[in-house]
Amino acid sequence: MKDAVRTTGLFKRYGPQVAVAGVDLVVPAGSFAGLVGPNGAGKTTTLSMITGLLRPDGGHAEIDGLHVWRDPVAVKARIGVLPEGLRLFERLSGRELLLYNGRLRGIPKEEVERRATDLLRLMDLTEAADKLVVDYSTGMRKKIGLAAALLHNPSVLFLDEPFEGVDPVSANTLTEVLRGYTESGSTVIFSSHVMDLVERLCDWVSVMNRGHIVAQGPLDRVRGGRSLNETFLELVGGGPQTGGAAGLSWLGRRETP
Amino acid sequence: MTTVRLFAALKLRLLAGNLRGDLTRKLGFVFTLVMAVFLAALGFFLMSVVRFAPPDIATDIVIVVFSLFLVSWMIGPLLAFGLDDTLDPARLALFPLPTRQLAVGMFTASATGVWPLASLVVTAGALVALVSSLGGFLLGILAVLLQFALCLVASRLVTTSLSGALRTRRGRDVLAVAAFASLLLFQLPNLLLNSNLGDPLSLLRGTADLLRWTPSGMTAHAIADGGLTGLGELLVVALVVAAAAWLWIKALNRALVTPDVSNQTSSVRRDRGFVDRFVSDGPLAAVVTKELKYIRREPRYRVVWFSGVVLTGVLAISFSRFEGSGGPVLPILLTTLGGLMMSMQMCNAFGIDGRSLWMNAVAFGSERGLSLDLAGRHLANALVAVPVLLLIAVVAGVLTGSPDGILWAFCAGLGVLGLGFGVGSVTSVVIPYTVPERMNAFTGAAPGQGGQAFASSMGAMIGISLLALPFLVPMLFGLYWVCALAPFYGLAAEVLGRRLGAQLGFARMPELLAAVSKPA
Repeated sequence: MKDAVRTTGLFKRYGPQVAVAGVDLVVPAGSFAGLVGPNGAGKTTTLSMITGLLRPDGGHAEIDGLHVWRDPVAVKARIGVLPEGLRLFERLSGRELLLYNGRLRGIPKEEVERRATDLLRLMDLTEAADKLVVDYSTGMRKKIGLAAALLHNPSVLFLDEPFEGVDPVSANTLTEVLRGYTESGSTVIFSSHVMDLVERLCDWVSVMNRGHIVAQGPLDRVRGGRSLNETFLELVGGGPQTGGAAGLSWLGRRETP
Repeated sequence: MTTVRLFAALKLRLLAGNLRGDLTRKLGFVFTLVMAVFLAALGFFLMSVVRFAPPDIATDIVIVVFSLFLVSWMIGPLLAFGLDDTLDPARLALFPLPTRQLAVGMFTASATGVWPLASLVVTAGALVALVSSLGGFLLGILAVLLQFALCLVASRLVTTSLSGALRTRRGRDVLAVAAFASLLLFQLPNLLLNSNLGDPLSLLRGTADLLRWTPSGMTAHAIADGGLTGLGELLVVALVVAAAAWLWIKALNRALVTPDVSNQTSSVRRDRGFVDRFVSDGPLAAVVTKELKYIRREPRYRVVWFSGVVLTGVLAISFSRFEGSGGPVLPILLTTLGGLMMSMQMCNAFGIDGRSLWMNAVAFGSERGLSLDLAGRHLANALVAVPVLLLIAVVAGVLTGSPDGILWAFCAGLGVLGLGFGVGSVTSVVIPYTVPERMNAFTGAAPGQGGQAFASSMGAMIGISLLALPFLVPMLFGLYWVCALAPFYGLAAEVLGRRLGAQLGFARMPELLAAVSKPA
């Protein structure tokens, strides 16, 4: 099977701190891939470098076999991105944001309008379509961000923490959309630290810790018969044996008067 | 007492924490400290000098100064809202503090700091200025403390009662523009003085008479009086302070339990395709449409446009006194100045997009994309700027009594606008900086990027001025027709500058993104 994403020795440091220490990420085309890791593992930095938003200090990244930094035109037409933090053009309405995005990529106006209406309906945003994005809730922002990322029909979709701060109803909408999208042969890569979600959605998983990939492959192979959470804690070294609440003897104690 | 110590310590710790690890902030703080000490000393000295004035004039001066202090204490924190974490009572809502304790604490926190102390020192200068007897001295100390307390409580009262509104998006949007308007308002007396509306002494007298019976007027008068009348006045002021404090506690109580109402929002009108009538469908039309919406809806844009236009207007009025003296020179100069002010907004074209610029970055695969983006921004800005320039040219021409200069002025203005867009395309990608979301009246750049902002605007200003010499110098020799070539010259500069900007900018897109995405 062809790889949708392949990085070799991707490296980034901020001052003395190494954020990503030589990452070899592989994601086969058509998979629903999860990039998991504790806070500060380097997930966001890795995704930013692959999507061309952050210049790596070393290594290279390929999408559908195309070099990200040498062939930006072809790569950018192929990818959809939903970055972390989700700053959008706040003073546009949801519909205007989609129109702007689509037309910026050279899609004719009527076609963008059609797709935008479809996406707004799909994301359950029709009512809020003419409100300014600055007034959207977190869930609505993630949905409109995803809609903007899907608008030009990319073949690989990068989502940084798409489910963080999203209510269950919106989360369900998001997963339905993404499932349908991968079933048509496209690839989704999303970062998360919610193991249950990754386990439920993904067929491919890459585990990052301290700037390295520590495990990678089909979900069943990585978790090896256990739950992904157990495997994850073992891989990143945060199991119950490391202390936990042992030092907090006062916690939960109530004095009887 | 513990509360006082605790909150004073909290405030000091916040100040210290703000400095940690960042050299530019440390330097900034040292600079602030030096400035505050210097201004405190200068203020104290100037207040002392007032002693040499005749007693009644001295009293009038102190009355006006005290009132100005009170007003700036009330407005200052609003202009800088968000700079001080102790200001917003909502942050303290979860702590089990009784309101009285919270009030004492917030009072302490606002008294702790460099600027409050500096203003106390300057206020104390009134003692030197006005005291004429021992009674006056004793009353004076009381009066200075009361005036200081009044400033603190009044400033707290204003911020607390408005904090609910300030936490909503609309409230902040309004404030951003209002803050700037009030800064300009401070320029008004200056203009009035310039236009000789009367001699300064009678102006002072009139103002002081007006302010005499306000609380700060009474404190000032009490120091000079030093007798029973003064004591009575101070009693009244003390009552006012107490009443303000009571109101403030009430407002605080209410602010802590009133919910945030910022989510009640209205819809915007659907786009009617105004831009599509003259720009063919594609990325350019998308950028122009978006940019025009931003100019209308984004408060930061409103502030810069507002200030550009108002500043030119103020200058036009100031200069109009030289009526009929220079022929077309004045209208030309004023209109080019207007063009300069408006095109300077494009010197950091990506600053207001800030962290949302990634959306463009993932769409542009080549220099052409970036060049189109810049072109769209320029076109949108020109759509607003050109009519304004025409207006400036006409008004300046009529006011200075040289209507023959209107056409030349308009042409020169267009030329400078084009030059500004060209130079701005380069500075936007070479010296980009973040424009903070909550712009306050004191800075237009994110913390630590003041230097970039300064370099960017100075560089652009010098660049534009130098490039404008080819048509401004001939003008001085009476060759006004050269201005007719200015629009073409400006257009050429825009095209070249935009190409260069796109080339440089595309190569350093990730760095550009990082520079405009600083936390602010």
